[in-house]
Amino acid sequence: MSVPDSLSMPLAIECEDITKHYPHFMLRDVKLSFEQGSVMGLVGPNGAGKSTILRIVMGLIKPDSGSIKVLGYSMPNEQIAAKRNIGFVAEDMRLYESETIEFHINFIKSIFNSWDDQYAKKLLHRFDLKKEQKIKGMSHGQRIKAILLLALARRPNLLVFDEPTTGLDPVVRKEVLNEMMNSLEDETHSILFSSHNTLDVEQISDYITFIYDGRIIESRNKEDFMDGWRRLRLTNMNNVSLPNLSNIKEIQQSGRLCTVTLNNYENSIPEHFTNAGLQINNIERLTLEEIFLGNVAHAKGAGKEAIV
Amino acid sequence: MSNSIIAQLVKKDFLMTRNTIFIFCLITLASVAAIYMIFGHVPKVVFLNLGFTLLIAPAITCAIVLLMKTIVMEKQKSTQLFIMSLPLSIREFTTAKLLLNLPVFTIFWLGITAVAFYFSFGLGLFPYGSVPFITMIFLGIFVAYVVILSIAILYQSYGVTVITMLCAELGTPAYLWVIAYSEPINSHVYESHMVWNSPAIAIVATQILLIILVPLIAWHIQNKKRDFV
Repeated sequence: MSVPDSLSMPLAIECEDITKHYPHFMLRDVKLSFEQGSVMGLVGPNGAGKSTILRIVMGLIKPDSGSIKVLGYSMPNEQIAAKRNIGFVAEDMRLYESETIEFHINFIKSIFNSWDDQYAKKLLHRFDLKKEQKIKGMSHGQRIKAILLLALARRPNLLVFDEPTTGLDPVVRKEVLNEMMNSLEDETHSILFSSHNTLDVEQISDYITFIYDGRIIESRNKEDFMDGWRRLRLTNMNNVSLPNLSNIKEIQQSGRLCTVTLNNYENSIPEHFTNAGLQINNIERLTLEEIFLGNVAHAKGAGKEAIV
Repeated sequence: MSNSIIAQLVKKDFLMTRNTIFIFCLITLASVAAIYMIFGHVPKVVFLNLGFTLLIAPAITCAIVLLMKTIVMEKQKSTQLFIMSLPLSIREFTTAKLLLNLPVFTIFWLGITAVAFYFSFGLGLFPYGSVPFITMIFLGIFVAYVVILSIAILYQSYGVTVITMLCAELGTPAYLWVIAYSEPINSHVYESHMVWNSPAIAIVATQILLIILVPLIAWHIQNKKRDFV
């Protein structure tokens, strides 16, 4: 699956049919693309394959098959040129504990001509970091902020974040998310980020991709996601059968009360239920977390059916 | 571009380890001074054992600490992910690691080999007939080092590197015993002039070849890796 269908901007990332086998995990036929100037959020539970996809995008892991283009560069073969324009931050990334932030800044500065000293100073101030600070004494939040600073002040066109907010307290999380958004200063800057926190994704993404068990289960524009899913609360007085609609993703029945979760919702859908003799009590929008859980439940069911 | 990033990586690793290198330089100098002081004051057999240990221990320890800090710990402490997010590939990463570790050890090795040759032949500890044998001993140390360095680069694992060190520690004396008891070599050890017969030349040539080839092979295998984090 990929988004969007009609593109006006060049693609930031274009993954085609990526597969990667591990002894206990497999990434299957991943298709993922989004245009420059937008934010793509990759949502999935732990072990779904988010980090593997991001590392493949960074050229750090070579897929068994498929093709990847990042900012027009073919990965991993053109990773050196591509990574000049990418800032990568990962939750499990570490800086040198025995060294200071200044040491790291000087190191990155010596590699990137695009390094913005003024912006780096601003970020140090905003993140409440001191350049003389050694990494060793820092909290997890401070370390992530230091890594973020090193990625942002080089002014990359694409930012790739792997679970950047995991383990952060709400204050630091907000700071990190704000700075991620601030970095999108013009329409050529893009972000690809993964999280299992749907709130973060909902907050800053233009496009959302759900990944589960090494497969992309849905990938869409955020508005389409939020508009496409509904929950109908129904009363089934006469115990009639529910209409057979392909977009029903989940049914929960408790006595005469029935809850139906639907994807690709259209305004004509309630009529199918009323025509079948059901009374509609309420039509609710779903949160991104609920949509994700609905997707995962559906994917699990499909997986089981496939096995049977 | 990639050349400059290799230089920056080497510089970064050097800056992070310069204190260690400096301390081991001082220890090596202190060891040489100690060897000089005990020369002639202790029995020859004691001097040989003590002198050899004092001479090679700081150099070997420095080399091992350096490769642990710059290669093995890079992976163990997840700083490799930070480095690999920069505009470089496995090739540049591996080249930079070799370009720091190999020259530092080579400088130490040249220093201790020169000191060993000075005591052995300059001060008349051994006859010139021992030159091939002493050369083989010190080239053997270099071979053991490049094997440990190459394994550390390929696996970046404490366990595997320590096991390799252990094997090298056991293998080097075994190799020395083999050449010491090899007739074409030991028959000329007590002669007053050097004898570079074909077995001696073959052994030294093989050692030099291994010193060049082992890191190159490791570099080549490393570049073939599909996954690097």
